[in-house]
Amino acid sequence: MIDRFSLSVAIRHLLYYKGQTVLTMGVVAVSVTLIIFLGALIGGLQKRLISSVTGAIPHVVIRQPERQPVAVWDVASVPAGQVYLGERIKLQQQKLKIEDWQTWLQRLPSYSDNIRAVSPVVEGQAFLTRNEKRKAVSVVGMFPELHNGVVDIQSKLVRGRFFGLNGGEAVIGFKLADEFALRLGDKIRVLGPEGNAATYTVAGIFDTGFNLVDSSTIYITLRDAQSLFGVGSAVTSIGLKLRRIFEAEDLAQKIAQQVPYETNSWMKDNQQLLSGLRAQSQSSNLILVFTTIAAGFGIASIMITSVVTRLREIGILKAIGATNRQILQIFTLEGTLLAFLGAVAGAVQGIALSLALYRIRTTVSATGRTAEVFPFDLTPELVIRAVVIAVIVGLIASWYPAWRASRVNAIEVIRGV
Amino acid sequence: MQQSGGDIVCRLEHVDKVYEGAVPTPALLDINLQVQRGEFLVVLGASGSGKTTLLNIIGLLDTPTSGKVWIAERNAEQMDEEERAALRSRYMGFVFQFHYLLPEFTVLENALLPCKIAGKQVEEQNRELVKELLHRVGLGDRLNYRPSQLSGGQQQRVAIVRALANNPELVLADEPTGNLDSKNGFAVFEMMRFMNRQTGTAFVVVTHDERLAQEADRVVVLEDGRIVKDMLQRPAQTHEL
Repeated sequence: MIDRFSLSVAIRHLLYYKGQTVLTMGVVAVSVTLIIFLGALIGGLQKRLISSVTGAIPHVVIRQPERQPVAVWDVASVPAGQVYLGERIKLQQQKLKIEDWQTWLQRLPSYSDNIRAVSPVVEGQAFLTRNEKRKAVSVVGMFPELHNGVVDIQSKLVRGRFFGLNGGEAVIGFKLADEFALRLGDKIRVLGPEGNAATYTVAGIFDTGFNLVDSSTIYITLRDAQSLFGVGSAVTSIGLKLRRIFEAEDLAQKIAQQVPYETNSWMKDNQQLLSGLRAQSQSSNLILVFTTIAAGFGIASIMITSVVTRLREIGILKAIGATNRQILQIFTLEGTLLAFLGAVAGAVQGIALSLALYRIRTTVSATGRTAEVFPFDLTPELVIRAVVIAVIVGLIASWYPAWRASRVNAIEVIRGV
Repeated sequence: MQQSGGDIVCRLEHVDKVYEGAVPTPALLDINLQVQRGEFLVVLGASGSGKTTLLNIIGLLDTPTSGKVWIAERNAEQMDEEERAALRSRYMGFVFQFHYLLPEFTVLENALLPCKIAGKQVEEQNRELVKELLHRVGLGDRLNYRPSQLSGGQQQRVAIVRALANNPELVLADEPTGNLDSKNGFAVFEMMRFMNRQTGTAFVVVTHDERLAQEADRVVVLEDGRIVKDMLQRPAQTHEL
């Protein structure tokens, strides 16, 4: 319970000694500004880095496990002396595929609320040829409306369309279009791995900012890709996009137990990146911890000074009936209020600073697409956390001075002129 | 209690106080003292005679080395810190040599502090009383001034009202005029005497100024920690009588 008397003495004191109050608030405000600014910047940089890695790929991919060749003599179950030899099968038949993808397309979204998008695709390598020019490209057959949840093409279109793609049409990146001098309506010829060929009309050109996608990926309809790669009515993989991407590995493991296929998450493929990010987070946390401690010492030293300069006042308050608890509360309330007010001021500064810098944009692509220079990730949680931490630090930092104040011997301080 | 009770606000029985140290220093020796309701008692003594120690023991700010202290008919030995604080807040008032008003509060708020400590209800109940007391000491038009805007005598008068704010039975004053010139000092002393008659509150005033003693109902003289003289000059005049 907050004592009314203690609160009023604390507030009066803060208002009366404005200079000291503003100074202490300043110490806290600078720390909170730093925590918010640094937290938002590092968060934003990490998000940008992660999205540059995962932006164009599914977070979890479901595909048929690849069968590894095993030496005959390694197969323990083969009785000694007997060797079975098989016939070498053709690549086309070897293609790893998922036949019952439609079932999974329906079931997967209900596995976890974390699943944001599910996209069955037929993917493969092929050659794009035009006149004498040839280039190895990745061909992705998909449903545009579903696949846009994995990689956002629709809003990154420079020309043409993506949704409502028809058979015989293709959507390509602007770099590929530049390289082959392609415009909407032009025909492109794609050579499949089996030597079969198909011709598509360019229906859309996009600029996603992901180099690999913009320079060497061709999107066609699922049907077209099925016939180009000869997989019948199957798909080669099902891609999942998640809401909370750091749960990808957990989800992949969970799904692996429920589908008769192999699952793989982006986290498994990017472990080095993740450990790098973790190291970065830890070092930035360390900076924030020290900043917080410094602010705590700032509050503590000012509160100790305050107690020493107010010894007489404390003595008089005790003599006229204030309890130790009330004295303790006066000083802890002061420290906590200072920290809270400073934290609010710091939060305002931190938010203003981040938003101001966030507005600086620069052109990052030939198509005129812009991106922010400082990719701040300013979340309400970050701000609230910074303020709460500051208040807790204020409470802790003022505890010792307050305790000292509460133990003051009234007669000693009143007599000791 | 054992003695007729009600009319005695504080009682000291064989109180000794020795300050521990390299050489233990006795400050009070075998003090026996009763303060009657509404009495105006002056404790006279040179500096070092133990009079402040006596006051602190009565005020529950200090504990005796031996002997018994009864306040409001309760044994001080058996009180915990909370009870002592509560008694200081409700039963007693303090006036010190320096006024010690809080600079961040107004005159009225300073005078109301003991009530504020006791809680909102007490503050509301006593607000009018305190305003009335401030009027009576001539500060009725200064309620919202800051202490720094008052003269030393005026500040001490606020401190006296503060000591009376909770309508206490006993006011303890330690050299209340010590920091004032003789004219202001005498005015403040007169003020206390006046308040004593008006409210029926007992006063124990410690001073080395013998002139003030003439005004008292009773004078106790301390020398080297002993009571050497205890003179009743006139019976206590209480408000009610």
